[in-house]
Amino acid sequence: MCAAPTAFLPAGNRRINVPQILMAAGLVGLFAAIPLAYIIVRALGAEAEAWNRLLQVRMWILLRNTLLLAVTVTMGSTVIGVGTAWLTERSDLPGRKIFRWLLAMPLAIPAYIGGIVHLTLMRPRGGLFPKLLEDLTGISMPGFNPLGLWGATFILVLFSYPYIYLLSAAAFRSLNASIEEASRTMGRSTRQTFWQVVLPTLRPGIAAGMLLVALDVLAEYGTVALLRYETFTSAIFVQLAGRFDRSAASILSGVLVVLAMLILWAELRVQGQRRYTQMESQWRPAAAVSLGKWKYPALTLTLGVICLSLLVPVTVLAAWSLQALLSPEASNGVLRSGSRGFGSYTWNSLWTSAMAAFLAVQLTLPAAYLVARYPNRMSRFLSRICQVGYAIPGVVIALSLLFIVNRSFPFLYATPLVVVIAYVLRHMPQAVRGSEAAIAQVSATLEEAGLMLGRTAKQTFFKVTLPLALPGMLAGAALVFLTSLKELPATLLLRPAGFDTLAVRAWIWAVDGSYVQAAPAALLLVLISAVPLTFLLHREKLSA
Amino acid sequence: MTTYRSAWISLLMVLLLTACASGGQAIYTPSTPAAGAPDAETPDKFESPGEAITGKLVIYSGRSEPLIQPVIEAFELAHPQVEVLLKAGSNSELANALIEEQPNPQADVFITTELFTVQSLAEQGVFQPYQPEGSDQLPAEFIDPQNRWVGLTRRARVIMYNSELVKPEDLPRSIFDLVDPKWKGQVAAAGSTNGSMQAQIAAMRQLLGEKATEEWLQGLIDNQVTFFGGHTDVRKAVGAGEFKLGLVNHYYFYLQQAEGSPVGIIFPDQGEGQIGLITNASAAAIVRGAGNPSAAQAFLDYLVSREGQEIFAKLNYEYPLLPAAAALPELEPLEGFRLAEVEPAKAALEFKATFDLMERLGLP
Repeated sequence: MCAAPTAFLPAGNRRINVPQILMAAGLVGLFAAIPLAYIIVRALGAEAEAWNRLLQVRMWILLRNTLLLAVTVTMGSTVIGVGTAWLTERSDLPGRKIFRWLLAMPLAIPAYIGGIVHLTLMRPRGGLFPKLLEDLTGISMPGFNPLGLWGATFILVLFSYPYIYLLSAAAFRSLNASIEEASRTMGRSTRQTFWQVVLPTLRPGIAAGMLLVALDVLAEYGTVALLRYETFTSAIFVQLAGRFDRSAASILSGVLVVLAMLILWAELRVQGQRRYTQMESQWRPAAAVSLGKWKYPALTLTLGVICLSLLVPVTVLAAWSLQALLSPEASNGVLRSGSRGFGSYTWNSLWTSAMAAFLAVQLTLPAAYLVARYPNRMSRFLSRICQVGYAIPGVVIALSLLFIVNRSFPFLYATPLVVVIAYVLRHMPQAVRGSEAAIAQVSATLEEAGLMLGRTAKQTFFKVTLPLALPGMLAGAALVFLTSLKELPATLLLRPAGFDTLAVRAWIWAVDGSYVQAAPAALLLVLISAVPLTFLLHREKLSA
Repeated sequence: MTTYRSAWISLLMVLLLTACASGGQAIYTPSTPAAGAPDAETPDKFESPGEAITGKLVIYSGRSEPLIQPVIEAFELAHPQVEVLLKAGSNSELANALIEEQPNPQADVFITTELFTVQSLAEQGVFQPYQPEGSDQLPAEFIDPQNRWVGLTRRARVIMYNSELVKPEDLPRSIFDLVDPKWKGQVAAAGSTNGSMQAQIAAMRQLLGEKATEEWLQGLIDNQVTFFGGHTDVRKAVGAGEFKLGLVNHYYFYLQQAEGSPVGIIFPDQGEGQIGLITNASAAAIVRGAGNPSAAQAFLDYLVSREGQEIFAKLNYEYPLLPAAAALPELEPLEGFRLAEVEPAKAALEFKATFDLMERLGLP
């Protein structure tokens, strides 16, 4: 990976030092791949007895549970995500401009926090909602039980569909009117056109969203633990909290990573099969479809989704926060753990996430530059390696970092820097994709102009390429910041004593059943997350 | 490419600066572990009398945060220059961390909700012996003979019930009644990650053997008992009428009662031929190689002092181990009950078998 063939260099431009960039990208790739390799080696090296114990019953139950949940959540999110995207982008739904915002905002709410709210409201016995119904009607009604597979599906769909919504909305927006018109001209009905022409062209966007959702389900800890549905991730936590032996946790982690890689591979296969090209020059937005008598059902549906995924959680959190801050007893508990107070949790959340965002963009720059300027097998391979974090759930990254740091870098052990490293590893893919797109957008002719005017390659990069690519790279950074802020499992495992983030605080109280105390941290987390999200949505021109 | 390199260097600088700037606040720097301390097995006090205790005190607590925070706050009032860093989790999760950190200790004090974990860790050399001031007043069975851990409070495993949903004549009398099909789907308990539950299973293995314990656990699972992550969930669910019965530590009943819920308590297995009431004790120990031994010692002294013991007793309805500390009057005195006799030192040996059992049955 060091010897750079001269084929990398375009003729007449030999001043850019590709081998060095290649080396840097390679080192970053190595850094990204180490935890993965380590956990697989640990899993394979575990004692046969531990493997046998797990293979007897546990493994199969976990495999079934995890895959089942991944399928139900992905399907549910796809239906809601694509459906609402179609409504806001292609129909004459009233208020669709505001809905575009509201439908994306649930991304600011970590699923487990939404889960806490819905669980408290809907518990079959003792939940606020069934109680209210009983008080109003006098009849005790068996409510929807938010626990188990369907409960977990319900919650995760509510807070994962925005991924698919955003990606398919973007795809709908970029769709050229002429494609549909051609189809209609050929005698296809509106419905046939949608299924046979529109949907296939949207497939890459939808598939990318589905991939994100499926991998998120594999990595999800808080929600499944709260709703008592055991998947690989929660089982790993149970193992860590159980016997004094970590081989079972390593084995489960190894299998989980393989599972995630299989999903990643499947998506690559789907994406690679077909290509759809649109001619940019003749692009016109497609005409909006009139909903007619379906207007009000569609409106109700959209409002329902927004209510459940955004308005209800935020309202309940706000009410609880007030309650917590007004009662002196609870507020004392909310504000302190040991000698640490609320300010310290907020500060910890902010600086670790910001540093992770900064580092992730920095570290992925070489790989992104290579793949944008010299797209070939080697550079694409490096960029892929940097994106391996997608496939490694937070708990697995944390576990391998614990092993590696404790053995090889004891001075780093139990410092917040390990938490930052975990965020970087896990969220680097978002930075790679952001930077790649941003640099590719800057025309190479601008760089050539810089070179011709006598600037060196590095001057050109810093004076021309970087400033132009910066907004795109910032978007990647905002995404890393947002996801790091919400990160729970790795932070739980890696945080030093007394070093809590808002996500950890909300979780620690909630898991103990003290929902009111959990609310202020959760609400603040949601409000802070809304900032980078708003920035990202602006870029997506959703506000236009 | 020097610019690129300088970019990397500046990145490193920023990294370092962030680390320094946020020093005291955000970055936790373990105070240098006393060099060579591991072998100095001196139970002597590090502090000289009258000298203020300072620095950071890192506490790993298996007791959930709300149950330990009041004592920490009272301790901080007495020692305002000590900064307490708390990491709360399950006993075994933190025990795992302590074992892994043996070459590189991070914690000063470890607090558990039962004795088996401290006993197993003591056997692995994780703790530094220390005899807290006044601990000679505690009952001898709650202090490690080698002073590696000290007991704090006693708790009993009881059944709490919702008194609006269960008639007095229907009440269970034994933990074995919980597997009776008439309670199917009506019982809540804590799951396999909970220290008190682990300890109950370990105690039952010692009292009744593997087979009877396994049958009981399988009976709970077959009876659709709901296993929560912790007891707070259990008590709230029983209080709200979501379940009729809950298997908890006794103080969860009192905490729920204090919130005004219609709940009752049963001290089970008091009849002839039954195993007796299972009790356990929370405990504290000082970690070998602790960075701040004098603060750790002061904290342990405080925990067994009358003041510390009464905080546990008053706020949390526990049975203080110190005879001079008064339990709350509404607490049923343990002297009135027949207690199951469990030896922590022996049960600790069987801890691995207990985990194997829970895993084999797939206890959630």
